[in-house]
Amino acid sequence: MKINITGTKIEFKKEENRLDRFVIDFTSLLNKLQIKYVIVSGYIAILFGRSRTSEDVDIIVEKLDFKTFTTVWNTISDGFHCINTNDVKEAYEDYLSSGISLRFAKKNTLIPNIVFKFPKIDLDTWTVQERKKVVVNGHHFYIAPLELQISFKLRLESEKDIEDARHLYKLFEETLDMTLIREFNRKLKTQTLFQRYLQ
Amino acid sequence: MRTPRINLKELEKIKEENFRERLEFIDRYVEWMKKTSNKT
Repeated sequence: MKINITGTKIEFKKEENRLDRFVIDFTSLLNKLQIKYVIVSGYIAILFGRSRTSEDVDIIVEKLDFKTFTTVWNTISDGFHCINTNDVKEAYEDYLSSGISLRFAKKNTLIPNIVFKFPKIDLDTWTVQERKKVVVNGHHFYIAPLELQISFKLRLESEKDIEDARHLYKLFEETLDMTLIREFNRKLKTQTLFQRYLQ
Repeated sequence: MRTPRINLKELEKIKEENFRERLEFIDRYVEWMKKTSNKT
């Protein structure tokens, strides 16, 4: 797998799977509206070739006011539906603004779905700010920094998550910012897991 | 690069909330499956 990494951009070609296509379709709508977002969690390992799938793709979106969210809602509604509610006001007030995620899937389906959320903690805000651009087969979207993703996956501790962390670490080992990984391992208390499973 | 403050207790709480949201989704999905015809 040949991957070109330049500055904050990662570019490569791959045979798209169903989940890739789904993510490209959804994020292209956010891109069109110039909404700042970042994909986090399991899909990142899948994007870079991990041999598994996922029911959902987590996306943190910068906090939007109701008017902007309504524009996003109307745009998304072209091909997707919200699983939680059909009402935009309820989606904004009772879900997003209350710290509860919304799920969006293609019409007449529930899986896969996008887990759409606003930043809840400093780490979420940082992740949106420090997002990395990925260009796959000419389509672009944004993902969390791999260094955070690796430490965070270790923190989640399930076998699946540790395997995802190892996949990303081994694939990008030569280009990762090890100072940043060490800093996240220290803050997330994942140093022991890192030494045991990734090195 | 400056990294953010991380509160591990806060993270654990969010992990639990995310898990509960996934469980709720499973209920919803199973209900949907029951109403949906099998694809052949």
